[in-house]
Amino acid sequence: MARYDSNSDEALIEAIQRGDGDAAACLYHRHIDRVHRICCRIVLDSSQAPDCVQEVWLKVFRNLGRFRCERSFTAWLNAVAANTAIDYYRRTTRQGHHADIDEIGAESLVADEEPAESPFDGPTVRRQVREALEDVSVNQRTALVLRYFEDMPVPEIARVLQCREGTVRTHIRRCLLALRAKLATRLNQEVQKYGQ
Amino acid sequence: MDSKRFSLEEFAALFPGRFESQEQLLREYRSFLAVFEHLEQMPVPALSAREKAEIFRQSWQNSKRDWSWAWTWLSVFRRPAVTFAMGIVLGCTLVFIVLSGRAEPAVPVPLLGPAVVAQMPLTVERTRYTQVYKGELIERMYPQIENPKIVLEKTKESATPQRVLYGTLDGGEVYVVWNL
Repeated sequence: MARYDSNSDEALIEAIQRGDGDAAACLYHRHIDRVHRICCRIVLDSSQAPDCVQEVWLKVFRNLGRFRCERSFTAWLNAVAANTAIDYYRRTTRQGHHADIDEIGAESLVADEEPAESPFDGPTVRRQVREALEDVSVNQRTALVLRYFEDMPVPEIARVLQCREGTVRTHIRRCLLALRAKLATRLNQEVQKYGQ
Repeated sequence: MDSKRFSLEEFAALFPGRFESQEQLLREYRSFLAVFEHLEQMPVPALSAREKAEIFRQSWQNSKRDWSWAWTWLSVFRRPAVTFAMGIVLGCTLVFIVLSGRAEPAVPVPLLGPAVVAQMPLTVERTRYTQVYKGELIERMYPQIENPKIVLEKTKESATPQRVLYGTLDGGEVYVVWNL
Protein backbone atom coordinates (compact mmCIF):
# COMPACT_ATOMS: atom_id res chain seq x y z
CA MET A 1 0.00 0.00 0.00
CA ALA A 2 2.94 2.31 0.73
CA ARG A 3 3.79 2.39 -2.98
CA TYR A 4 0.62 4.39 -3.52
CA ASP A 5 1.12 6.93 -0.74
CA SER A 6 2.49 9.61 -3.04
CA ASN A 7 -0.13 9.04 -5.73
CA SER A 8 -2.90 11.52 -6.33
CA ASP A 9 -6.51 10.58 -5.69
CA GLU A 10 -7.12 10.49 -9.43
CA ALA A 11 -4.27 8.01 -9.99
CA LEU A 12 -5.64 5.84 -7.19
CA ILE A 13 -9.13 5.95 -8.69
CA GLU A 14 -7.78 4.78 -12.06
CA ALA A 15 -6.03 1.89 -10.30
CA ILE A 16 -9.20 1.04 -8.35
CA GLN A 17 -11.19 1.00 -11.57
CA ARG A 18 -8.80 -1.73 -12.72
CA GLY A 19 -9.64 -3.65 -9.53
CA ASP A 20 -6.55 -2.77 -7.45
CA GLY A 21 -7.35 -3.42 -3.78
CA ASP A 22 -4.18 -1.75 -2.46
CA ALA A 23 -5.10 1.48 -4.21
CA ALA A 24 -8.59 1.23 -2.71
CA ALA A 25 -7.12 0.78 0.77
CA CYS A 26 -4.83 3.77 0.29
CA LEU A 27 -7.68 6.01 -0.88
CA TYR A 28 -9.85 4.75 1.99
CA HIS A 29 -7.26 5.46 4.68
CA ARG A 30 -6.58 8.88 3.21
CA HIS A 31 -10.22 9.96 3.63
CA ILE A 32 -11.79 7.72 6.26
CA ASP A 33 -11.42 10.13 9.18
CA ARG A 34 -13.17 12.97 7.37
CA VAL A 35 -16.01 10.68 6.23
CA HIS A 36 -16.42 9.42 9.79
CA ARG A 37 -16.48 12.98 11.16
CA ILE A 38 -19.20 14.01 8.69
CA CYS A 39 -21.28 10.92 9.44
CA CYS A 40 -20.94 11.35 13.21
CA ARG A 41 -21.93 15.00 13.15
CA ILE A 42 -24.96 14.44 10.94
CA VAL A 43 -26.17 11.12 12.38
CA LEU A 44 -25.41 12.33 15.95
CA ASP A 45 -24.91 8.81 17.20
CA SER A 46 -21.36 7.54 17.40
CA SER A 47 -22.53 3.94 17.84
CA GLN A 48 -24.30 4.02 14.48
CA ALA A 49 -21.67 6.04 12.64
CA PRO A 50 -19.56 2.99 11.58
CA ASP A 51 -22.61 1.50 9.80
CA CYS A 52 -23.19 4.79 8.04
CA VAL A 53 -19.50 5.07 7.13
CA GLN A 54 -19.62 1.57 5.64
CA GLU A 55 -22.63 2.56 3.53
CA VAL A 56 -20.69 5.58 2.28
CA TRP A 57 -17.66 3.53 1.22
CA LEU A 58 -19.79 0.86 -0.39
CA LYS A 59 -21.42 3.58 -2.51
CA VAL A 60 -18.02 5.11 -3.26
CA PHE A 61 -16.46 1.85 -4.45
CA ARG A 62 -19.57 0.92 -6.43
CA ASN A 63 -19.82 4.28 -8.16
CA LEU A 64 -16.16 5.11 -8.73
CA GLY A 65 -16.62 4.08 -12.35
CA ARG A 66 -19.00 7.01 -12.80
CA PHE A 67 -16.69 9.51 -11.12
CA ARG A 68 -15.25 12.04 -13.55
CA CYS A 69 -11.80 13.37 -12.70
CA GLU A 70 -12.69 16.93 -13.76
CA ARG A 71 -14.37 17.25 -10.37
CA SER A 72 -12.49 17.12 -7.07
CA PHE A 73 -12.71 13.67 -5.51
CA THR A 74 -12.86 15.19 -2.02
CA ALA A 75 -15.87 17.29 -2.97
CA TRP A 76 -17.58 14.26 -4.51
CA LEU A 77 -16.78 12.12 -1.46
CA ASN A 78 -18.08 14.81 0.93
CA ALA A 79 -21.30 14.93 -1.07
CA VAL A 80 -21.71 11.13 -0.96
CA ALA A 81 -20.94 11.10 2.79
CA ALA A 82 -23.34 13.93 3.62
CA ASN A 83 -26.21 12.56 1.55
CA THR A 84 -25.73 9.03 2.87
CA ALA A 85 -25.65 10.34 6.45
CA ILE A 86 -28.81 12.41 5.87
CA ASP A 87 -30.62 9.35 4.48
CA TYR A 88 -29.28 7.17 7.30
CA TYR A 89 -30.42 9.64 9.96
CA ARG A 90 -33.91 9.95 8.43
CA ARG A 91 -34.22 6.17 8.10
CA THR A 92 -33.13 5.40 11.65
CA THR A 93 -35.23 8.22 13.11
CA ARG A 94 -38.31 7.03 11.19
CA GLN A 95 -37.75 3.45 12.31
CA GLY A 96 -37.16 4.59 15.87
CA HIS A 97 -33.73 2.91 15.93
CA HIS A 98 -31.90 6.06 16.75
CA ALA A 99 -30.01 5.24 19.91
CA ASP A 100 -30.67 7.58 22.76
CA ILE A 101 -27.73 6.38 24.71
CA ASP A 102 -24.53 6.48 22.74
CA GLU A 103 -21.05 6.83 23.97
CA ILE A 104 -21.50 10.48 24.80
CA GLY A 105 -24.98 10.04 26.22
CA ALA A 106 -23.92 7.17 28.46
CA GLU A 107 -21.01 9.20 29.68
CA SER A 108 -23.31 12.09 30.51
CA LEU A 109 -25.83 9.82 32.26
CA VAL A 110 -23.11 8.43 34.47
CA ALA A 111 -22.04 11.98 35.17
CA ASP A 112 -25.65 12.96 35.98
CA GLU A 113 -25.66 10.56 38.88
CA GLU A 114 -22.93 12.52 40.55
CA PRO A 115 -24.60 15.24 42.61
CA ALA A 116 -21.72 17.65 42.51
CA GLU A 117 -21.79 17.97 38.75
CA SER A 118 -21.63 21.51 37.44
CA PRO A 119 -23.85 22.59 34.51
CA PHE A 120 -20.72 23.63 32.71
CA ASP A 121 -19.02 20.28 33.06
CA GLY A 122 -18.04 18.65 29.79
CA PRO A 123 -20.55 15.75 29.76
CA THR A 124 -23.55 17.97 30.56
CA VAL A 125 -22.65 20.54 27.97
CA ARG A 126 -22.06 17.78 25.42
CA ARG A 127 -25.49 16.33 26.14
CA GLN A 128 -27.11 19.75 25.84
CA VAL A 129 -25.29 20.47 22.59
CA ARG A 130 -26.30 17.12 21.18
CA GLU A 131 -29.95 17.61 22.12
CA ALA A 132 -29.89 21.08 20.62
CA LEU A 133 -28.39 19.69 17.41
CA GLU A 134 -31.07 16.99 17.27
CA ASP A 135 -33.74 19.66 17.47
CA VAL A 136 -32.66 21.42 14.28
CA SER A 137 -33.49 19.91 10.90
CA VAL A 138 -30.99 17.51 9.37
CA ASN A 139 -30.48 19.79 6.35
CA GLN A 140 -29.73 22.77 8.57
CA ARG A 141 -27.32 20.67 10.60
CA THR A 142 -25.62 19.34 7.47
CA ALA A 143 -25.14 22.85 6.09
CA LEU A 144 -23.55 23.95 9.37
CA VAL A 145 -21.29 20.88 9.62
CA LEU A 146 -20.08 21.11 6.04
CA ARG A 147 -19.47 24.85 6.20
CA TYR A 148 -17.76 25.23 9.56
CA PHE A 149 -16.41 21.79 10.40
CA GLU A 150 -15.37 20.68 6.92
CA ASP A 151 -14.70 24.15 5.55
CA MET A 152 -16.75 23.48 2.42
CA PRO A 153 -17.69 26.53 0.33
CA VAL A 154 -21.36 27.47 0.14
CA PRO A 155 -21.74 26.67 -3.61
CA GLU A 156 -20.42 23.16 -2.96
CA ILE A 157 -22.88 22.68 -0.08
CA ALA A 158 -25.66 23.88 -2.37
CA ARG A 159 -24.73 21.11 -4.82
CA VAL A 160 -24.70 18.52 -2.01
CA LEU A 161 -28.10 19.56 -0.67
CA GLN A 162 -29.45 20.21 -4.18
CA CYS A 163 -30.66 23.68 -3.33
CA ARG A 164 -29.68 27.28 -4.03
CA GLU A 165 -26.80 29.05 -2.30
CA GLY A 166 -29.26 31.41 -0.64
CA THR A 167 -31.07 28.42 0.85
CA VAL A 168 -27.79 27.12 2.28
CA ARG A 169 -27.16 30.49 3.96
CA THR A 170 -30.71 30.43 5.32
CA HIS A 171 -30.13 26.90 6.68
CA ILE A 172 -26.94 28.04 8.42
CA ARG A 173 -28.54 31.21 9.79
CA ARG A 174 -31.58 29.37 11.16
CA CYS A 175 -29.40 26.62 12.59
CA LEU A 176 -27.17 29.10 14.41
CA LEU A 177 -30.13 31.07 15.77
CA ALA A 178 -31.85 27.88 16.94
CA LEU A 179 -28.70 26.53 18.54
CA ARG A 180 -28.03 29.79 20.35
CA ALA A 181 -31.59 29.95 21.66
CA LYS A 182 -31.74 26.28 22.66
CA LEU A 183 -28.33 26.22 24.29
CA ALA A 184 -29.05 29.40 26.21
CA THR A 185 -32.38 28.00 27.49
CA ARG A 186 -30.97 24.59 28.36
CA LEU A 187 -27.87 25.89 30.06
CA ASN A 188 -29.96 28.41 32.02
CA GLN A 189 -32.22 25.57 33.19
CA GLU A 190 -29.15 23.60 34.25
CA VAL A 191 -27.82 26.63 36.10
CA GLN A 192 -31.14 27.02 37.96
CA LYS A 193 -31.24 23.31 38.78
CA TYR A 194 -27.67 23.49 39.97
CA GLY A 195 -28.46 26.60 42.03
CA GLN A 196 -31.25 24.81 43.91
CA MET B 1 -14.11 26.42 16.37
CA ASP B 2 -12.26 29.67 16.29
CA SER B 3 -13.02 33.10 14.94
CA LYS B 4 -10.80 32.39 11.92
CA ARG B 5 -13.35 29.92 10.57
CA PHE B 6 -16.44 31.84 11.55
CA SER B 7 -15.14 35.24 10.61
CA LEU B 8 -16.82 38.51 11.41
CA GLU B 9 -17.20 39.15 7.68
CA GLU B 10 -19.03 35.87 7.17
CA PHE B 11 -21.23 36.55 10.18
CA ALA B 12 -22.12 40.00 8.80
CA ALA B 13 -22.90 38.41 5.42
CA LEU B 14 -25.15 35.81 7.09
CA PHE B 15 -27.15 38.48 8.92
CA PRO B 16 -27.17 41.43 6.53
CA GLY B 17 -28.78 44.67 7.73
CA ARG B 18 -29.85 43.25 11.07
CA PHE B 19 -27.70 45.33 13.34
CA GLU B 20 -28.00 49.02 13.95
CA SER B 21 -24.45 49.60 15.09
CA GLN B 22 -21.04 48.03 14.87
CA GLU B 23 -21.15 47.51 18.62
CA GLN B 24 -24.35 45.45 18.38
CA LEU B 25 -22.86 43.46 15.51
CA LEU B 26 -19.78 42.63 17.61
CA ARG B 27 -21.90 41.69 20.62
CA GLU B 28 -24.03 39.31 18.55
CA TYR B 29 -20.96 37.91 16.84
CA ARG B 30 -19.43 37.07 20.22
CA SER B 31 -22.61 35.32 21.31
CA PHE B 32 -22.45 33.11 18.21
CA LEU B 33 -18.78 32.38 18.84
CA ALA B 34 -19.92 31.05 22.22
CA VAL B 35 -22.27 28.67 20.38
CA PHE B 36 -19.32 27.40 18.36
CA GLU B 37 -17.33 26.93 21.55
CA HIS B 38 -20.12 24.69 22.84
CA LEU B 39 -20.17 22.78 19.55
CA GLU B 40 -16.44 22.25 19.87
CA GLN B 41 -17.07 20.48 23.17
CA MET B 42 -18.76 17.65 21.28
CA PRO B 43 -15.76 15.90 19.77
CA VAL B 44 -16.08 13.01 17.37
CA PRO B 45 -14.72 9.76 18.84
CA ALA B 46 -12.10 8.28 16.54
CA LEU B 47 -12.59 4.92 14.85
CA SER B 48 -10.20 2.24 16.06
CA ALA B 49 -7.78 0.64 13.60
CA ARG B 50 -9.77 -2.60 13.84
CA GLU B 51 -13.05 -0.83 13.03
CA LYS B 52 -11.45 0.95 10.08
CA ALA B 53 -10.04 -2.31 8.73
CA GLU B 54 -13.39 -4.07 9.12
CA ILE B 55 -15.33 -1.29 7.40
CA PHE B 56 -12.88 -1.35 4.49
CA ARG B 57 -12.96 -5.13 4.19
CA GLN B 58 -16.79 -5.23 4.15
CA SER B 59 -17.34 -2.37 1.75
CA TRP B 60 -14.55 -3.38 -0.66
CA GLN B 61 -15.62 -7.02 -0.79
CA ASN B 62 -19.28 -6.19 -1.28
CA SER B 63 -18.51 -3.69 -4.00
CA LYS B 64 -16.19 -6.19 -5.73
CA ARG B 65 -18.94 -8.77 -5.68
CA ASP B 66 -21.17 -6.37 -7.62
CA TRP B 67 -18.35 -5.41 -9.93
CA SER B 68 -17.34 -8.98 -10.70
CA TRP B 69 -20.91 -9.73 -11.84
CA ALA B 70 -21.03 -6.62 -14.00
CA TRP B 71 -17.51 -7.14 -15.36
CA THR B 72 -18.26 -10.76 -16.28
CA TRP B 73 -21.13 -9.60 -18.46
CA LEU B 74 -19.24 -6.64 -19.81
CA SER B 75 -16.20 -8.74 -20.68
CA VAL B 76 -18.42 -11.23 -22.53
CA PHE B 77 -19.89 -8.46 -24.68
CA ARG B 78 -16.52 -6.82 -25.20
CA ARG B 79 -15.06 -9.87 -27.01
CA PRO B 80 -14.92 -9.10 -30.78
CA ALA B 81 -16.15 -12.55 -31.80
CA VAL B 82 -19.18 -12.30 -29.52
CA THR B 83 -19.93 -8.77 -30.68
CA PHE B 84 -19.65 -9.90 -34.32
CA ALA B 85 -21.95 -12.87 -33.74
CA MET B 86 -24.44 -10.66 -31.90
CA GLY B 87 -24.39 -8.25 -34.85
CA ILE B 88 -25.08 -11.05 -37.32
CA VAL B 89 -27.95 -12.40 -35.21
CA LEU B 90 -29.42 -8.94 -34.76
CA GLY B 91 -29.09 -8.19 -38.48
CA CYS B 92 -30.73 -11.48 -39.48
CA THR B 93 -33.57 -10.84 -37.05
CA LEU B 94 -34.17 -7.38 -38.49
CA VAL B 95 -34.08 -8.68 -42.09
CA PHE B 96 -36.50 -11.46 -41.18
CA ILE B 97 -38.91 -8.99 -39.57
CA VAL B 98 -38.77 -6.65 -42.57
CA LEU B 99 -39.18 -9.41 -45.16
CA SER B 100 -41.97 -11.21 -43.35
CA GLY B 101 -43.79 -7.89 -43.15
CA ARG B 102 -43.49 -7.50 -46.95
CA ALA B 103 -44.56 -11.07 -47.80
CA GLU B 104 -47.81 -10.73 -45.96
CA PRO B 105 -48.76 -7.08 -45.96
CA ALA B 106 -51.14 -5.92 -43.35
CA VAL B 107 -54.69 -5.57 -44.57
CA PRO B 108 -55.35 -1.86 -44.61
CA VAL B 109 -59.12 -1.99 -44.23
CA PRO B 110 -59.47 -1.70 -40.46
CA LEU B 111 -56.98 1.13 -40.32
CA LEU B 112 -58.64 3.31 -42.95
CA GLY B 113 -61.52 5.65 -42.44
CA PRO B 114 -64.91 5.04 -44.10
CA ALA B 115 -64.35 7.57 -46.90
CA VAL B 116 -61.14 5.86 -47.94
CA VAL B 117 -62.72 2.42 -47.73
CA ALA B 118 -65.50 3.51 -50.06
CA GLN B 119 -62.96 4.45 -52.71
CA MET B 120 -61.11 1.13 -52.60
CA PRO B 121 -62.03 -1.07 -55.64
CA LEU B 122 -61.42 -4.25 -53.68
CA THR B 123 -60.92 -4.88 -50.01
CA VAL B 124 -59.94 -8.16 -48.45
CA GLU B 125 -60.51 -9.17 -44.86
CA ARG B 126 -58.51 -12.17 -43.74
CA THR B 127 -58.90 -14.41 -40.77
CA ARG B 128 -57.28 -17.79 -40.27
CA TYR B 129 -59.85 -19.78 -42.28
CA THR B 130 -61.76 -17.13 -44.26
CA GLN B 131 -61.08 -14.37 -46.75
CA VAL B 132 -63.83 -11.85 -47.51
CA TYR B 133 -63.65 -9.89 -50.81
CA LYS B 134 -65.87 -6.88 -51.24
CA GLY B 135 -65.89 -3.43 -52.74
CA GLU B 136 -66.55 -1.74 -56.09
CA LEU B 137 -65.00 -4.51 -58.13
CA ILE B 138 -67.32 -7.16 -56.69
CA GLU B 139 -70.32 -4.83 -57.09
CA ARG B 140 -69.47 -4.43 -60.79
CA MET B 141 -69.29 -8.20 -61.18
CA TYR B 142 -72.72 -8.71 -59.60
CA PRO B 143 -74.67 -5.49 -60.31
CA GLN B 144 -78.09 -7.08 -59.45
CA ILE B 145 -77.03 -7.98 -55.94
CA GLU B 146 -76.89 -5.44 -53.14
CA ASN B 147 -73.77 -5.34 -50.91
CA PRO B 148 -72.20 -8.34 -52.57
CA LYS B 149 -69.24 -10.06 -50.97
CA ILE B 150 -67.40 -13.21 -51.84
CA VAL B 151 -66.25 -15.34 -48.94
CA LEU B 152 -63.55 -17.97 -49.33
CA GLU B 153 -63.98 -20.33 -46.42
CA LYS B 154 -61.97 -23.35 -45.32
CA THR B 155 -63.03 -25.89 -42.73
CA LYS B 156 -59.40 -26.65 -41.86
CA GLU B 157 -55.92 -25.48 -42.78
CA SER B 158 -55.32 -28.05 -45.58
CA ALA B 159 -58.89 -28.07 -47.00
CA THR B 160 -59.82 -26.52 -50.37
CA PRO B 161 -61.57 -23.19 -49.83
CA GLN B 162 -65.27 -22.97 -50.65
CA ARG B 163 -66.37 -19.79 -52.46
CA VAL B 164 -69.73 -18.30 -51.51
CA LEU B 165 -71.35 -15.07 -52.64
CA TYR B 166 -73.40 -13.27 -50.03
CA GLY B 167 -75.67 -10.28 -50.61
CA THR B 168 -79.28 -9.09 -50.66
CA LEU B 169 -82.04 -8.25 -53.20
CA ASP B 170 -85.08 -5.91 -53.20
CA GLY B 171 -83.74 -3.49 -50.65
CA GLY B 172 -82.68 -6.19 -48.25
CA GLU B 173 -85.92 -8.17 -48.51
CA VAL B 174 -84.18 -11.26 -49.96
CA TYR B 175 -80.94 -12.66 -48.60
CA VAL B 176 -78.67 -14.30 -51.23
CA VAL B 177 -76.25 -17.13 -50.53
CA TRP B 178 -74.73 -18.50 -53.71
CA ASN B 179 -72.10 -21.22 -53.85
CA LEU B 180 -69.72 -20.27 -56.64
